[in-house]
Amino acid sequence: MLDGVVKVLTRIAAITVLVMLGGVIVALVDGSIPALRAYGFSFIYTESWNPVTEKFGAAAPIFGTVVTSFIAMLIGVPLSLGIAIFLTELCPPRLKRPISTAIELLAGIPSIIYGIWGLFVLAPLLQRTLQPWLISAFEDIPVLSNLFAGPPYGIGILTAALILSIMVLPFITSITRDVFETVPPMLKESAYGLGCTTWEVVRDIVLPYTRTGVIGGVMLGLGRALGETMAVTFVIGNAHRIANSLLAPGTTISASIANEFTEADGELYTSSLIALGLILFVITFIVLAGARLLLARMKRAEGK
Amino acid sequence: MNDLESKTVSAMQERPNVDLTKTVITDDTKVETPAEKISIRNLNFYYGENRALNSISLPLFDRRVTAFIGPSGCGKSTLLRILNRMYDLYPGQRAEGEVLLDGQNILAPGTDLNMLRARVGMVFQKPTPFPMSIYDNIAYGIRLYEKLPKSEMNDRVEDALKRTALWDEVKDKLNASGLGLSGGQQQRLCIARSVAVRPSVLLLDEPTSALDPISTAKIEELIYQLKTDYTIAIVTHNMQQAARASDFSAFMYLGDLVEYGTTDQLFTKPRETRTEDYITGRFG
Amino acid sequence: MNPAVLKQYARRKRSHKIAMVCSFAAAALGLLALAWILATLFAKGFGGLNWAVFSEMTPPPGGEGGLLNPIFGSIVQTVVATLIGTPIGMLAGTFMAEYGRNTKLTMVVRFINDVLLSAPSIVVGLFVYEIMVRPMGHFSAWAGSVALAILVLPVVVRTTEDMLLLVPDSLREAASALGAPRWMVIQQICYRAARAGLITGILLAIARISGETAPLLFTSLNNQFWSTDMNAPMANLPVVIFQFALSPYEDWQRLAWVGALIITLAVLSLNIAARALSAQRASDR
Repeated sequence: MLDGVVKVLTRIAAITVLVMLGGVIVALVDGSIPALRAYGFSFIYTESWNPVTEKFGAAAPIFGTVVTSFIAMLIGVPLSLGIAIFLTELCPPRLKRPISTAIELLAGIPSIIYGIWGLFVLAPLLQRTLQPWLISAFEDIPVLSNLFAGPPYGIGILTAALILSIMVLPFITSITRDVFETVPPMLKESAYGLGCTTWEVVRDIVLPYTRTGVIGGVMLGLGRALGETMAVTFVIGNAHRIANSLLAPGTTISASIANEFTEADGELYTSSLIALGLILFVITFIVLAGARLLLARMKRAEGK
Repeated sequence: MNDLESKTVSAMQERPNVDLTKTVITDDTKVETPAEKISIRNLNFYYGENRALNSISLPLFDRRVTAFIGPSGCGKSTLLRILNRMYDLYPGQRAEGEVLLDGQNILAPGTDLNMLRARVGMVFQKPTPFPMSIYDNIAYGIRLYEKLPKSEMNDRVEDALKRTALWDEVKDKLNASGLGLSGGQQQRLCIARSVAVRPSVLLLDEPTSALDPISTAKIEELIYQLKTDYTIAIVTHNMQQAARASDFSAFMYLGDLVEYGTTDQLFTKPRETRTEDYITGRFG
Repeated sequence: MNPAVLKQYARRKRSHKIAMVCSFAAAALGLLALAWILATLFAKGFGGLNWAVFSEMTPPPGGEGGLLNPIFGSIVQTVVATLIGTPIGMLAGTFMAEYGRNTKLTMVVRFINDVLLSAPSIVVGLFVYEIMVRPMGHFSAWAGSVALAILVLPVVVRTTEDMLLLVPDSLREAASALGAPRWMVIQQICYRAARAGLITGILLAIARISGETAPLLFTSLNNQFWSTDMNAPMANLPVVIFQFALSPYEDWQRLAWVGALIITLAVLSLNIAARALSAQRASDR
C-alpha cells in the first residue's frame, strides 16, 4: 500500500519537471500578450525601443544576441576543440585531471564574476590594445572597416562576445573531450599504423567519427551563450540599436531584460520585455533540444 | 619451405646466442635463401615497471610469413606492436634492445615513426574502416605520401582492391561508406588500405578473430598470396591458422620466446614440452 | 625516397606541428583565463576582506559598512531553494531510475530536464515574477527562493537518476528477495549505495545557484537593510555586486570586489568538494 503512495509521489515529482516547462511557456505567453496584441508580428523586426512613445521592437536585442553568440562560437569553438585535442591526444596523463578540472572550473565561476572582470579588466585592456589596432588595421579595407569602425569604447558587442567565448569554453570542451574518448583506440591506431601524424588522426578520423557529438556540444555551448545574462549586461553597453561596427555598444535580449525590467513602468513596457524573454526561451529551447537530440543519437550509435 | 631454411633455423636454435643478422648460409648448394627483413635482438619490453618481454631474439625472413603463437598475455601482440612502434602512443611503455629493419635499428631515438609505419603496415583484431567511403579508405593512405593524378589514383585503388580480392564485390559502390560492408569485407578493406601504401612489412594482429570461418579462409588465402611481395608477421590464437598460413613460428609464453623454428618443425617435432603441450591443447 | 614524397611529408609534418602548437596554446589560454580572473579577484578583493565585511550592513554611498545582510540573504535563499528543489528533484530522479525506468514518461522527462538544465536563468526569473511577484504585488525572498529552486531541480533530477542507475540491480533483487517492499529497498539500499553521488549532485546544485544573479533581479530584488522576512525583498550577494560594481562610488565598487571574491571562493570550494567526493567514490569502487 505504502509502496503505491511512494510510487505515485515520485511520478508526480517527475511530472513536475514537465509542468515547469509548460508553466514557463504559459506564463511567458500570457505576459507577452499585451505587447504582441499591440505590435503583432512586427515586434520581431522593429528596431525602435522607445519607452516614452511606447514603441517597442525586438530587432536590436535579437540582433545583439545572435551576433554576440555567433562571434563567441567563432572564437570559442576552435579554442574548445584545441583544448579537447590537447587533453585527449597530447597531455601527459599526470596533468590530464588537473587541467580538465581547471578548465571545468571556468564553468563554476558565476557569470556575474565574468561581468565584473570584463567591465573592469578586459574592456579597458581591449580599449587600449586590440580595438585601436583593429580600427587601424582594417581602415582601408571595405566592409571590414565598417565592421571595426571606431571609436574604441572598450565595451560593446565584440567585448561581450569575447567574454562569452571564454564562458562557453568549459561546456564545449568537456563534451568534445568526452566524445573524443569514445573513439575506439584501435581505429586511431589503424590511422597511426598508416603513418598518420596526430593532427591527421584528429582531423581525418576523430573529428569525422565524433561529428554528431561535437556538433551537439557546440550547440549546447551556443544555447548557453544565447541565454547568458549578467556577464553580457556588464560589458555590452546597453544601446538599443543595430550598429554596423562590432566595437559599438549594443544589447542582447537577456541584457535588456536584466537592465530594464525593474524600472519598466507601464504594462506595454513590461509586456515587451516578457515577450523578449519568450523569444529567447523559444530560441534557446530549439538550440538546446537540438543539442540533446544529437548527443542522444551519438550515445545510441556508441552503444551499438 | 626448402631444406636449407630448416637447416638454417635449426642451426640457430641450437646456438641461441648466434648473431642472427650474420647468419650466413655456408651450404654451397645455390638455392635461394630468404634474407632477414627484420632482426629482433635481445628485446625487452616494459609496461611501466612490469616487464612484458624478456630478451627476445628472432628473425623475420623476407617474403615469408612468421606466426607468433602462445596463450593470452604471453606477449605476442606486444612483440608485434613493437615492430611499428605502436607502443610509442602510450606513455610509460618502453622497449630496450634492437629491432633492425633492413639493417637499421628502429628503436633508435630519432627514428621517424610516420615513415617507419609507412614501411610497416598493420591490421588489427577487428576491422577498422575509417569513417569515409570505400574509395577514400584506400586513397587516404596513398594521399599521405603521394600526390597522384586522378586516373593514377584510381588505378592504385583498383590494384589494392584487386590484390585483396575485394574489387569485384565493391567496384560498383566505391563511394559508399566502408562501414556498410560485411565484417570479412571490412577486414579485407583494411588489408587493402595497408597494402595501398606499399609497405614492405605487414603486421597482422589476430586478423580473423572477429570473423566467420568463410571470411577467415579468404583472409588466409590472401595472406598466402601477399607473401610474394611482403614480409608478414601474424599473431594468432588459432593453431590451425598458424600451421596453414605461416612458414615460421615463434611460440611465446609469459614474455619468453620458448621456441622458434619453421612451422613444420614446430608443429611436428617441437623441441620444448611447453610448446608441445600448447600445440596439442593441453593448456592455453 | 623520392624528393616529391619527402617534400609532401615535410608539409604534413609542418601542419601537424602548427596544429599541435595551436592545441597547446588553446589549453594555455584556457588556463590563463582562469588564472587571470582569480588573480584579479584576489588583487582587488582580498585587501578589503576584513571583519566588518561579515559584521556590518551594506553602507550608503560614502559610508562605512560590510556585506552582512546580502551574505545572510544569499545563504537563506540558497538554503530554502535547496530545501524546496532537492526533495522534488530526488523523487523525480527516483521515479526515472526505479519505478518508471524506460517508460515513455521517463524519456520525455529526461529530455525536457536536460534542456531545462541549460535554459537561460533570466527566463526563470521572468516566470517567477509572473506567477508570484505579480499576483502577490511585491518582491519577496520567497519568490527569489522559488526561482533558485527551479534551477536546483534539473541538476538534482539528473544526478539522482544517473547515480541510482549505477546501483547494480543485483542489490535491489537481493533486498527484494528478503521481502522488503520497493520503497524500502530504494530508501535503505539504493539511496545508501548512491549516497556520495547524490550528495555530489546537491553540492553542484548549490554551487550553481549561489552565484546566480539574473533570476533574483526581479524576484527577491534587493534590500539595503537587515531583513529576515521571507515575504519582503531580501538582499543577496550577486545582486548587490551587480548594483555596487556598476555604481560610480569607489567604496561600493571596492565592496563589490570583496563580494565577488567571497562568492567565487564559495562556489569554487563547493565545486571542488563535489569533485573530490565523486573522485573518492570512483576510487572506492
